Amino acid sequence: MLLTAACQREKRDLRPAPTRLAVLGTAARESLLQPGGAQAPLEPVNPAEGNAYSISEGQRLFNAYNCSGCHSHGGGGIGPPLIKDVWTYGNDPANLFDTIVKGRPNGMPSWGGRLPEYQIWQIVTYIRSLNKLEPKSATPTRSDSIEQNPHTLTPVPEPKLQ
Amino acid sequence: MMAERLGTKLHQNGAMVIPRSLAAAAVLFYFAGILFPQIQNEADDGQWTMAAKNPASTRYSALSQITTSNVKNLKLAWTFSTGLNKGEEAAPLVVNNTMYIVTPWPNILYALDLTNPGATKWTYSPHPSASSQGTACCDVVNRGAVYYKGKIFYNTLDNYTVAVDATTGKQVWKTLMGDINKGESMTMAPIVAGGKVIVGNSGGEFGVHGWLAGLETETGIVTWRAYHTGPDSQALIGPEFKPFYAQDRGKDLGVKTWQGDQWKIGGGSAWGWISYDPALDLIYYGTSNASPWNADMRPGDNKWTSTLFARKAETGQAVWAYQMNPHDNHDYDAVNENILLDLTIHGQPRKVLAHPDRNGRMYLIDRTTGEVLSAEPFTFVNTSESVDVKTGKLNAVDSKKTGFKTVRDICPAPPGGKDWPPSSFSPRTGLLYIPYNNLCAEMSGTQANYISGTPYLGTDVRMYAGPGGNRGGLTAWDPVTAKPVWKVKEMFPAWSGTVVTAGDVVFYGTMDGWFKALDAHNGNLLWKFKVGSGVIGQPISYKGPDGKQYIAILAGVGGWSGAIVSGGLNAADGTAALGFVNAMADLPKYTTTGGMLYVFSLP
Amino acid sequence: MNAFPLLLVSQSALEPGGTNASRILTLGEGMVFLLGIIFVAVMIMAVIPLMRRHRGIEQEPLERTHQPSEATERKLAIVVGSAAGATVVILLGLVAVSVVVGKSISTAGMPSHALTIEVTGNQWWWNVRYMNDDASKIIVTANELHIPVGRPVVIRGMSNDVIHSFWIPGLQGKRDLIPSRVNTEWIQADRPGNFRGQCAEFCGLQHAHMAMWVVAEPEDKFDAWFAHQGQDAVPPATEELQRGQQVFLNSACILCHHIQGTEAAGQVAPDLTHFGSRMTIAAGTLQNNKGNLAGWIADPQGIKPGTKMATVPVKSEDMQPLIDYLESLQ
Repeated sequence: MLLTAACQREKRDLRPAPTRLAVLGTAARESLLQPGGAQAPLEPVNPAEGNAYSISEGQRLFNAYNCSGCHSHGGGGIGPPLIKDVWTYGNDPANLFDTIVKGRPNGMPSWGGRLPEYQIWQIVTYIRSLNKLEPKSATPTRSDSIEQNPHTLTPVPEPKLQ
Repeated sequence: MMAERLGTKLHQNGAMVIPRSLAAAAVLFYFAGILFPQIQNEADDGQWTMAAKNPASTRYSALSQITTSNVKNLKLAWTFSTGLNKGEEAAPLVVNNTMYIVTPWPNILYALDLTNPGATKWTYSPHPSASSQGTACCDVVNRGAVYYKGKIFYNTLDNYTVAVDATTGKQVWKTLMGDINKGESMTMAPIVAGGKVIVGNSGGEFGVHGWLAGLETETGIVTWRAYHTGPDSQALIGPEFKPFYAQDRGKDLGVKTWQGDQWKIGGGSAWGWISYDPALDLIYYGTSNASPWNADMRPGDNKWTSTLFARKAETGQAVWAYQMNPHDNHDYDAVNENILLDLTIHGQPRKVLAHPDRNGRMYLIDRTTGEVLSAEPFTFVNTSESVDVKTGKLNAVDSKKTGFKTVRDICPAPPGGKDWPPSSFSPRTGLLYIPYNNLCAEMSGTQANYISGTPYLGTDVRMYAGPGGNRGGLTAWDPVTAKPVWKVKEMFPAWSGTVVTAGDVVFYGTMDGWFKALDAHNGNLLWKFKVGSGVIGQPISYKGPDGKQYIAILAGVGGWSGAIVSGGLNAADGTAALGFVNAMADLPKYTTTGGMLYVFSLP
Repeated sequence: MNAFPLLLVSQSALEPGGTNASRILTLGEGMVFLLGIIFVAVMIMAVIPLMRRHRGIEQEPLERTHQPSEATERKLAIVVGSAAGATVVILLGLVAVSVVVGKSISTAGMPSHALTIEVTGNQWWWNVRYMNDDASKIIVTANELHIPVGRPVVIRGMSNDVIHSFWIPGLQGKRDLIPSRVNTEWIQADRPGNFRGQCAEFCGLQHAHMAMWVVAEPEDKFDAWFAHQGQDAVPPATEELQRGQQVFLNSACILCHHIQGTEAAGQVAPDLTHFGSRMTIAAGTLQNNKGNLAGWIADPQGIKPGTKMATVPVKSEDMQPLIDYLESLQ
């Protein structure tokens, strides 16, 4: 059991087939209000879930595609934080996938039509790993960005969801 | 005013009598010529028709009802809620007993009836696109409008300049000036000079091609547009251009000081303050930082980013330029205010401008030629040793130059010794009132990537308080002696503008929500009021329809410094908001968001 | 330039084409020669006693304690002493020679006013930037260096991610490219030719496919190449090529690549402004021709598994115009 989990975690699927451009979002639900009663979720499965290579690729792409320009290293800035408890559009992998592909009304760009799907799943999984929603064994242990200097004024709290 | 008082009893008993008051006035006037700097000012009618009060940008109100003795009685007269909760940076305008307020996105223009305080005469909604919020580096702010010949002019976040009839609120014209998909946005308060509305873009963090433009006030047609990088033809640099210093002279420096075609995405936007000298017919303004922040990616001096320009208002032709921070590697924009003063320096009367730069130095520059007279630090500075006034060179400290490496203890931090919040000048005290920052930072360069419409940075930053522990304050500065006269420390960076009155009172607000009145002579705190949210706006002083003097301020924390509150950011990531979150992790304890106008007067 | 000049291929430290490599080879050959002699001598001296004939009954009886004569002892002392002395002298001599040669190929022996090239190692390609105090004369390319024959060239080595090592066997010894450091060295080509080099420090999945080419050419050819590299990309001349450019600008390509003169200004992948003029694709992995290029774009992971280049889905009708356009960027 443990061995198969480790296999999934360490698997490197370098050539996702088929290679699709992410054009349409999914029909992921963003509301708990479902007329007539709650229904089964429509979300597709995140193919990169729990995969260490995907999370590390996601981290690389998060910086290369300038996500960090607006969201910093999860704290936000021009854009909202990506380490948080309350998500406007949900933080299921399919919701995050939607957000990146479709964009969002108040300034999130729409990447659909540019990025291949597998890269978006990698970024989605990385964002989830920032929120500790991915297995700890698959998550990178430290950020590559500048280390905290001891004498800064405001002590940085333990990374946590706020 | 003096003339009226002099018109008494010149003749008595047939003989010419020189009344004592006349003699006294003559003596005072004589000394005033030497001791007190003269300024170019329109007569003060108690209105506020442009964000900086007058083209010289002194933000000085000649109203004197509120004085150092009675300001302690100042009471809240009325309030008005904008209904929004993003950073309120605008200066309200007051014209013809109407107050005009521009809000942050969605950039609504409110016309408030001062005869019926708080009542809305009309509202104008330009409906800027919601997506434009994704190209605003530092909150979706707007720094205000300008009134000219019956129209209100201002900019929307999604790159429109609009003209609205000041009486009816109907749109007169709306001109599209930029493209959000190039990372452009507009937040600055325009001015009108030479019959043109002068506007500029924002986006030094997005790799835009920065520009300043002049539009016809009646039609909104773009008469001229000067780009701040690129060939001389685009920069409107021609035969009139005579920079004072050698390193600013040459052909096509906006291309030659860049690698390859990087100038096309080099930044140099014009999002700050513009002053105007009608006698010389010159507008003065500065350009933003260069893109990307990681300077190793863009070798060269990177002209004309971080440059102070003097241009003809009607044609936009450049007359002189001085690059303040060549090859800027600390995000030291040159966009701060230029206060036009006529001072006596070393015994000579000079027409100067006072420019407190992001690099922490107070520049005194001859505004006819561009010669630097002095550049003394007004906060703690370790990124430069000095400015050589003979050559104009900034002697940058090598160990603090950033790039593909980690540099710590950079002072001042990227927001500078002072960011956009404007200073004011009192001709009575002869002092400049400067809201300043006391912040240092560590910066670490990373590979930046240019994707149009997204940030182009390449740097991780963490800011923290500078020496002393206070993150800012207000300083009164004597421009002639180039020395501070008094300083008031604040816990947070002083991110509001200042206004100084003839009653010798200085007003400003703090980020933790205190609106304060200080004695302009000595900085003593005379009065303060806790408003609902941190103050990052520009206070004004006006005469109401009842003849009383009023002070108005918008309170709503946000902007770059308050992003942790207005954006709900996560303090666990110190690099958030380009490093500001590290320095402001405690701000949420002191203030929440808001968007309220407060108007004060004596009871 | 698509010809693959096989005759001039050289990735051998034994066929130096540059000053530093020659010095290293000379030192190496000298050492081999000298130490070879010593080796042979020592071997002979080891074998001779084994070859000595057994003396037989005439030898002195073993019961008596064998005392070497004084003469023998003296001879022994002289032999041992001189052997030890000679060893020390030879070793010190070798050390001295090594130091001298090492200094001459190090930055201490570096001439000033040399051409400076900044080489940045990335996983798994080389970013090349020709530096100049005049920023407008700086040019950027990737994976292929051109240098003038007979002129020293300073290489400033940096890395964007992990440790790589810059090694052109025909020109110089290895020099590591370390993140957050700049390592400087100099090279000089003594004859024209193409010198192949590769990364010499394990840097990940495709370390083996991280090669580069250094083209040494006469001064005038180099100047022409350099002048051309600084220009904007060749604009697409035909409708087909324009379509190819449109495909490029509308895909994910512009998120990473730069083509000077177009809107594509990405900085995290090799500069493609003059891609068509390079000899190879993917850091020396493939010869630069249309077939290889199409294969590379269609399936980079098949050629370099783990490469950072995205697998961008390009429609079949777009592929031909795209590769035509890229090959037209001479």
